[in-house]
Amino acid sequence: MSDKGMQLLEKAFRLEGVNRVPWVPFVGVHGARLVGVDAKTYLTSSAHIVEGIGKAIELYNPDGIPVVFDLQIEAEILGCKLVWNDDNPPAVVSHPLAEGATLDQLSIPEETDGRIPIVLEATRRLRETYPDIALYGLITGPFTLALHLLGTEVFMKLFEDPEYVHDLMAFCSKVGDKHAQLLIDAGCDVIAVVDPMTSQIDPESFKTFVSSPVTQIFETIRKNKKYSSFFVCGHAQQNIEVMCDCLPDNISIDENIPLDYVKDIALQKGISFGGNLKLTSVLLLGDELDARKEALGCLDLAGKEGFILAPGCDLPMDTPVENLQAVSTLVHDEYIQEATRNMEHSSSLQPLSLDGHWHADKVVIDVITLDSGSCAPCQYMMEAVNKAAAGFGDKVVISEHKIKDINGIRMMMALGVKNVPTICINGKASFISQIPPRSELEASIMKDIQALNG
Amino acid sequence: MNELLEKISDCIEFGKINLASPYPPQMKGLEGADELTAKALQEGTPPQDVLTKGLMPGMEKVGRKFRENKVFVPQVLMSAKAMSTALLHLKPHFLSGAAKQKGTFIIGTVLGDLHDIGKNLVAMMVEGSGYKVIDLGTDVSAETFIEALEENPGAVVGLSALLTTTMVNMQKITNEIKAAMPETLIAIGGAPVSEEFCEKIGADNYSADPQGVVEFLNQKFL
Repeated sequence: MSDKGMQLLEKAFRLEGVNRVPWVPFVGVHGARLVGVDAKTYLTSSAHIVEGIGKAIELYNPDGIPVVFDLQIEAEILGCKLVWNDDNPPAVVSHPLAEGATLDQLSIPEETDGRIPIVLEATRRLRETYPDIALYGLITGPFTLALHLLGTEVFMKLFEDPEYVHDLMAFCSKVGDKHAQLLIDAGCDVIAVVDPMTSQIDPESFKTFVSSPVTQIFETIRKNKKYSSFFVCGHAQQNIEVMCDCLPDNISIDENIPLDYVKDIALQKGISFGGNLKLTSVLLLGDELDARKEALGCLDLAGKEGFILAPGCDLPMDTPVENLQAVSTLVHDEYIQEATRNMEHSSSLQPLSLDGHWHADKVVIDVITLDSGSCAPCQYMMEAVNKAAAGFGDKVVISEHKIKDINGIRMMMALGVKNVPTICINGKASFISQIPPRSELEASIMKDIQALNG
Repeated sequence: MNELLEKISDCIEFGKINLASPYPPQMKGLEGADELTAKALQEGTPPQDVLTKGLMPGMEKVGRKFRENKVFVPQVLMSAKAMSTALLHLKPHFLSGAAKQKGTFIIGTVLGDLHDIGKNLVAMMVEGSGYKVIDLGTDVSAETFIEALEENPGAVVGLSALLTTTMVNMQKITNEIKAAMPETLIAIGGAPVSEEFCEKIGADNYSADPQGVVEFLNQKFL
């Protein structure tokens, strides 16, 4: 059996060959939508999180998945005020170190503090139920946590009071270190250090202030024999190299950075990489075809060595389930990849004219395939159609339209077919992707013949 | 160009605030934007010249370096801070009409959204580029924007949103402002926002970074 889950991810992390690219949908508050509750109810209940992630696993067939995606957990414990929103993770609205608190008044969160017990409980339960799927434990990266604690003043303090920033970053690193250890002990396989705010600084500032605190956290993860990922979002292209130098096992980026750029640097440094499905314009607002094309674009650009397919960041709550399923089926099916690849080049084509295609006294069956000669599901579908139609003699006209040919694609467009293979009976997409049992196919043909005689 | 104005421009470009400021290291122990601006005005340099021949060229240079990825947010913020310090000396002259700010920018994070970091960065950089900035804070309704516009006719509005869900409010607020004051220019930004979205909702500018907003304003006001 081919690799999947953590086993497959491990191969990607180690840059070993894989037969399929691993897929890690970053389900955060989207899990709340899957179980029908609001974000606050979800993110404050281990039962809801377990149910939401369970549903996501069932729907999206992932190799790995985050337990919780919420970068406010540590900040909340350390005194940042949160405001909750029904369909998003909470927002930090106060920065204690900018409002009178001092660094020595803050202490490292313990496993009983704030919402940490909820996350740990959810992790333990998911670990038990899904022993093979990689569970990602997320921690707030030190620079982003420093921003939560001090606000934008941090940027100026880099120059005006560098010693203070070093102390603050050392504290934030210890917070991350402790949180990572707790998540590992509860059963996480991968710890993601999520530090989006580093996208705002230059490589020199990164090296001066961020590299050492973050490297320390990755070292802890390595000592525990677990894997690490460094998530960043936004325009962080300038920092990819210094991020790699912090020695994570993986770098994960969003659509703001070209995937091939990250690929080149990461692989050169011997580090795996992941990303960067477009979150809003495609996954949230696009349709299934957009999602498939986007995923295929990532797969083709990234190649199979050391790549993990993932969204750019936390999935928006209302991301349509079908779009994520479309990505999932594409990842797991090379035929769909091939078909989508062919469609990629078809956008400027016009649909084929259907004039003269239909017969007054015959049932017309069109089978849209990749190519029944090379695609196994297509082959079985053609065989099924031929067998079922055999009993009806010349009452049935069967055509295969291979979308490897331009006219096949144009016919697919004319018939409004979106999946391959599909059986259309008299122009109606009757069986999509699945090969119907002979009896069902015969019954459908019979119905249309009766309608002709009608 | 006046040597003093050139020095002021350098202070802005490199983020040298005042004598005491340790940054940038190569200017340690030297006077900064604060002292030099005061000196220029004392010596009788017209306030408008201090603004347009000293401060603004410095800010333009740092803006250009930002666009070329030679400097990043922290450096630009230091420049903006140096600029703000210098502008304090010019404030009485703005009030008297002896110097004019480039224009007014009204900014806020849209209704339902409480994120302020991106909005604050934009506000600081726009202010540092010589504009009057009215920061309405977070969770701002269309009515509040419209009231601020009534008090500041001709101002450009900046809308920020970090959440995919509040992008919708960005659309509503844009529509309401345009309905009430069709001439108003609206710039939008924030993590989930894009050029396509900007076109879709009928806003006038999308910028991926604060410098983009400054450039948009410069086009409109110069």
